[in-house]
Amino acid sequence: MDYLNIAMECADSMGVDYADIRIQKTHSEMIYLRNLSLKNTSDSVVYGYGIRVLKNGAWGFAHNNIFNKETVIATVKKAYEIACISAQVKNGEGIKLATERSYIASYKTPVKLNPFQVPLKEKVDLMLEVNKTMLNYSLIKQAMFWVQSRTDEKLFASTIGTRLDISTTFVCPYVTATAVTNDDSQSRSFNIGGQAKGWEMLLENNLLEKAPVIAEEAIMKVNADSLGPETRRDLLLDPIHLGLTMHESVGHPTELDRVLGWEADFAGISFATPEKLKNYRYGSKIVNLSGDNTLEGGLATAGFDDDGVPGQKWSIVKDGILNEYGTTRETAPFIGEQQSRGCNRATYYYDFPINRIPNLYLEPGKKTLTPQELISDTEDGVYIEGQGSFSIDQHRENFQFGGDMFWEIKNGKKIRPLKKIIYKSNNPEFWNSVDAICDKRFWKPYGVINCGKGQPMQAGRMTHGASLTRFRNIRVGGSQ
Amino acid sequence: MMKNELFERANEFVKRNCNADDYSFAIYSRQSHETRFAQNAITQHIAGTNFHVHFSVSYGNKTGTASINQLNEESLKKMIDTAQQIAVLNQPDTEFIATQSEKKLKEFNNYSEETAKISTEQMVEMIKKCVKNAKEKDAVVSGMTEKHISKYFFTTKNGFESYDCFTSFSHSMTMKKNEVETKVSKGVKNFSDFDIDEQIAQLNSQFDSLHKPKPFEAQKIPVILRPAAVRNLYSFLYWMMNRRDADEGVSPFSNQIGKQFFGENFSLRSITGDSSIFVPSFSSDGIVSEDIDWINKGILKNLPTTRYYADAHNLKDSNPFNFYIDGGDVTEKEMMKKVGKGLIINNFWYIRFIDKKRGELTGMTRDGVLYFEDGEIKHSVNNFRWNEVLNETTQRILSLGKNIQLDAQTRVPSMLIDNFNFVDTSSF
Repeated sequence: MDYLNIAMECADSMGVDYADIRIQKTHSEMIYLRNLSLKNTSDSVVYGYGIRVLKNGAWGFAHNNIFNKETVIATVKKAYEIACISAQVKNGEGIKLATERSYIASYKTPVKLNPFQVPLKEKVDLMLEVNKTMLNYSLIKQAMFWVQSRTDEKLFASTIGTRLDISTTFVCPYVTATAVTNDDSQSRSFNIGGQAKGWEMLLENNLLEKAPVIAEEAIMKVNADSLGPETRRDLLLDPIHLGLTMHESVGHPTELDRVLGWEADFAGISFATPEKLKNYRYGSKIVNLSGDNTLEGGLATAGFDDDGVPGQKWSIVKDGILNEYGTTRETAPFIGEQQSRGCNRATYYYDFPINRIPNLYLEPGKKTLTPQELISDTEDGVYIEGQGSFSIDQHRENFQFGGDMFWEIKNGKKIRPLKKIIYKSNNPEFWNSVDAICDKRFWKPYGVINCGKGQPMQAGRMTHGASLTRFRNIRVGGSQ
Repeated sequence: MMKNELFERANEFVKRNCNADDYSFAIYSRQSHETRFAQNAITQHIAGTNFHVHFSVSYGNKTGTASINQLNEESLKKMIDTAQQIAVLNQPDTEFIATQSEKKLKEFNNYSEETAKISTEQMVEMIKKCVKNAKEKDAVVSGMTEKHISKYFFTTKNGFESYDCFTSFSHSMTMKKNEVETKVSKGVKNFSDFDIDEQIAQLNSQFDSLHKPKPFEAQKIPVILRPAAVRNLYSFLYWMMNRRDADEGVSPFSNQIGKQFFGENFSLRSITGDSSIFVPSFSSDGIVSEDIDWINKGILKNLPTTRYYADAHNLKDSNPFNFYIDGGDVTEKEMMKKVGKGLIINNFWYIRFIDKKRGELTGMTRDGVLYFEDGEIKHSVNNFRWNEVLNETTQRILSLGKNIQLDAQTRVPSMLIDNFNFVDTSSF
């Protein structure tokens, strides 16, 4: 804790409005296998500290990777100096932080099998076996498997007296088989994203059993038909697919920094402006979307955020109505909120923490409903599994999505696989078209590990989740 | 050529302590100053230097890699030990290739003292000017001003050695008032090539041309793509172009080398002769930078090829290192006159693949769309979604404007393209 105290004492002595220091060591491992060739087996450590100073209503942030007293103090002074210059360009009195108490606490991701302690041979042998199984199919020309494991150890201190010791871990596997014919190629993936767990996540998912299914579905897909021009049909979207759609169409538009226009030059702004709070019908009455940074296995579950605000659960969309945003200590006061929802996160030590999507998920349906019952109840629709093409405008209103695997549904039955399917919709049409959500037994998470946001760009992490959900009367068809 | 004492010491340490059959060692450092502003105020302001130290070793065809961000001997030793341990314990790489051997590298000047000397105060003064301009228009401006000094050292046990030093400065800004929002950005390696007043004038010109958009149906229609839109659209070619993927049948370029796959008005290159654009002495894992035509007058000439794949198939290795599309001399006014009516697109947004095999993409328009008719801009229109096959769009290029530098890696022209495929309207 020495460097924490040195930095905070220095900041206090300079008369800052607020300051914090985050010492962060990021340890990650990447293993990448392509057609039985180990393209990359690497171990990476990124270690340093970032110091944030608020002075005269403006931020300064400086980072360094050299650990000694003189350099820590020089880095505080640099952040202070930058904050003072930044204060020349501010609105009114500038930034006021939401109230927060101090904490002395620690958090550690529950991990059964530390991914860094599992023997390399064991990991690579599993990956090779999965690769071989898929390449045994003659039409599979490319088989790919990568897995990333990462632990972030953070020590955090702030001038309000908070001292935190946080260790988070996640594992994220990704498997793809690509089938090639004379005139087409199509891929099928195992992609459930990352989970805040250890290597047990890979064992629980039994990838050896899944490998032939992935390969066979890639072959099915490359030989499948597409649909003709778009018409209105029902969509059944699986939890992994919905992880992406809710990320783009609910997660980003309800980040308060976007709502305030702070991302206008890059990622864009939001249609979900503050006058819509508590009255805008975002979705149908059965749509309940929760922010939850206490979710077990969630990638944004870390005990506290990088403002030192504890993880919480709250309603972002409640019974279909826009209820609340994801906020930080900096953004919350701009809409009159007294406290932050704890969404301020940085990726590496050298990143400035920004307003991030929390773990955000669609609550399961309250009535008992299985996927089979939902399919049986659908006359003319498309069932989409997994993630494919995705594109949304800079206000987060109009979008087009693809998927990883598609099935046509006619008269209550999945009748054939399809390929190259896209659908177009918008807010508020899309979430208002929800008329059925399977129950909690079928709820599954999807962990995003590469949410690009900010300048300079940071790859953030958060978990989404859903049960199979039906959207009525959406424009669906083949591409073009 | 070694030019950095810190890097040289680290290299000597690696040479002394590595017992692997082969290795590559890279150090990348970047000293950055990044000032972000939004809604007429500075919102984020960052200074610091990042190090990435990357070490790959092999014993026979068993490989391992470790990376750190420290240059002290204790950390370097741990990095060497970790990479070596991984390699010893690893399974063989069936596509192993030895590291690059000694190469004669050309020297390119990518460093500008003027850029390196830009002060924090200068950057903030530029932002003040942008904010003042926005306030005069009763608008808000958001953007980013950044400067970087980057150093990249790469060496191998087989005798390859290179040291590159780069400077860059870039500035972007989006101005917004009610329904009107538009953006300009420019990046340079030499700060003397940047003029904030010129950027503000361009921003004002775009901003003043836009008004509350009138509704316009999605359709196939001629478009004039301004350079930022051209960069965003055709830079996807570098995501798609890969020799191995083409040979394995998973890209649109299978069996297309030497053929007229693109329109004859389209040429894409990486070039070494333009002093305003970055040219690293090498790229990837030791591929020497030299002039290369990827597409020449519509004929697909080359596809990026890794060292392994080149060696295995008796091809030349190659890698894109900057982005240069040939221009012409047609003005925007002349383009408007050439077609009866059409749309001017300032920029695209959120471009993604729909179908990788076909090279089909989707995306939105952004930063303002203008309708023109009879050689004149008539009014702003709503945004659109489009779906297009990239090589097919080049077959519909009717005219090219003069190519201009957009950032330190890019020089592209404006383009007049017939029958651009808009498939949906945006709600704004």
